[in-house]
Amino acid sequence: MAPFVYSTLIISLGLGTTTTFASTHWYLAWMGIEINTLAIIPLMTQNHNPRAIEATTKYFFAQATASATLLFAAVSNAFLTGEWDILQINHPLTSTLTTLALAMKIGLAPLHSWMPEVMQGLNLLTGLILSTWQKLAPFCLIYQIQPDNPNVFITLGLLSVIVGGWGGFNQVQLRKILAYSSIAHLGWMILILPFSPPLTLLALFTYLMMTFSLFSSFMLVRTTHINSLSTSWAKIPTLTACVPLILLSLGGLPPLTGFLPKWLILQELTKQDLAPIATLAALSSLFSLYFYLRLSYTMTLTMPPNNPAGTLPWRLNPQHNTLPLALTATTTIFLLPITPTILALFTS
Amino acid sequence: MSLPTISRVPASGLLRSIRDLRWLLRSIAPLATPRRALTQMGYRRPGQPREDKPPWWRVKFDLSKGLKGMKRHFTLLKEEFFAQFIGPMGKPIIEHMLEQNQVLWEFRGPHSLQEWTISCDREIGGKSEIYLKVGRNNETCLLYGTLCSDPPKDGETRYSGYCTMRAKQPLASFDRKRYHDWSSFNTLHLRIRGDGRPWMINVIAETYYTHQKDDMYSYFLYTRGGPYWQDVKIPFSKFFLAHRGRVQDDQHELWLDKINAIGFTLGDKADGPFQLEIDFIGVCKDYAHTEDFAYEKYKRNPEV
Repeated sequence: MAPFVYSTLIISLGLGTTTTFASTHWYLAWMGIEINTLAIIPLMTQNHNPRAIEATTKYFFAQATASATLLFAAVSNAFLTGEWDILQINHPLTSTLTTLALAMKIGLAPLHSWMPEVMQGLNLLTGLILSTWQKLAPFCLIYQIQPDNPNVFITLGLLSVIVGGWGGFNQVQLRKILAYSSIAHLGWMILILPFSPPLTLLALFTYLMMTFSLFSSFMLVRTTHINSLSTSWAKIPTLTACVPLILLSLGGLPPLTGFLPKWLILQELTKQDLAPIATLAALSSLFSLYFYLRLSYTMTLTMPPNNPAGTLPWRLNPQHNTLPLALTATTTIFLLPITPTILALFTS
Repeated sequence: MSLPTISRVPASGLLRSIRDLRWLLRSIAPLATPRRALTQMGYRRPGQPREDKPPWWRVKFDLSKGLKGMKRHFTLLKEEFFAQFIGPMGKPIIEHMLEQNQVLWEFRGPHSLQEWTISCDREIGGKSEIYLKVGRNNETCLLYGTLCSDPPKDGETRYSGYCTMRAKQPLASFDRKRYHDWSSFNTLHLRIRGDGRPWMINVIAETYYTHQKDDMYSYFLYTRGGPYWQDVKIPFSKFFLAHRGRVQDDQHELWLDKINAIGFTLGDKADGPFQLEIDFIGVCKDYAHTEDFAYEKYKRNPEV
């Protein structure tokens, strides 16, 4: 893609999200989301292969439907209450409709079916943008909706955690695994939103860091299948040692950073007398942990069945900038001991 | 042939009194050759009467067939459900991690021919013939026949002379499409014995849009005549994209995660008998082959 076009699209992505962040009117927020959707479409289709075109088409349909529903909800709210302000979405019907529209935007269950197929058709960089950046604008809006009845959020969250774990169970394609991982993590974030929005933010930022480091690792090793993970030890041995820690952090195991949001969310749910829901969520995250462990096992704990002496690749200096990966991997692994500082940052 | 001159056209005042203008138009311009719509399914030979039967008349309703079908489909559904507990695609994960070779089609008996379909230009009025049978000792399959390049005399077809064999689309329960996932592999491995003719191997991947339904990825298979078997290994990076037999300018690599079928086509314009014996068709992973795509992806509108 021409550099000028590429930079225009990237700037548009930034513009869309920033517009949504800065808006208080539903029209402006919706416009920001639309700019985001339209800016990523050419990025998804830059490789002219049928799977990418299919992924783009499915993404466009899902996002257009969600955008239309969102606009309808905003207009209905204005009709019923006379308010265009994002914070003033008080009517139960419009609040539920908005929540469902935004849930479809970010790929929460049961409106998640587009996500794995779309991720499978993209290259890893575009998949990274889809999993991280494209979640920010809808999340900003979900954060500002204050429903009276938290049942919708609890249902969406719990379903997403279960579906995200169950769906990724039998996948061998890494992009689909990451899609289901995204669904599960979003479920955790939505689950706690009615009770403690700062924890949602904490979970979101932790998820963004962990996903970024995992995607970057897979991009460096140039692998999209679980089979080809087993040869990564010959390409970048250091990364082969770090990636299991990133994966286990995604799985929420202590003493890694990923444990922090899950721990605090479970604690908060228990305080809200929702212990059964907390138990279900914790048990469902074991499914996700299973496939993270499977990836770690394949990458680090096994040797590939080929003859290593005949197929060792040249170890050249990496052409990609590895500093972002180094930073995010460090924060993904080592941030748990400074939990009080992080809590103070988010709850002050 | 020159067009009729304008002087043969009656004066415009008289045209209004003429109700049937067809005889007039016929003399002025030749009728346009009828063209088939791109979305028209199937091929109707010129001169063949159209089928005016509604779809429900073409189906033969039979209770016993229906009951057998239901039993088959529910059995498949049960197998699919329990296969999820074994691993991805019904295989344990350790098999996914360790596999480097997989035999997809192995011709060991008449039942293996059920997965294949053969076709030649006889359907469009040509004179080729193609047959498929099990080879000696039920160990191979033999594709044989006669190629004839004479086009059918229907006034429409200009070229002819092809014979092809294609695997049927794998189906899950209730006739849902199932796909081959060859993303663990990067090479096609065949064991064949030919007669020296050049064949074309076609891989058909799943597409999304209707206008992509005739897309296929092709590569050549040059056979050696002779009694010795030939092990052919073709990397998937060598397959190029063609649509309805025409090689496309905008090329891309074959995505191996959803493959529908594989086929062999003979169309070398050499009339006469042909034979191709196939032992097995499989896929393998060659770790030494690191090429993504063999052809350049040209920019169609390069910056000047």
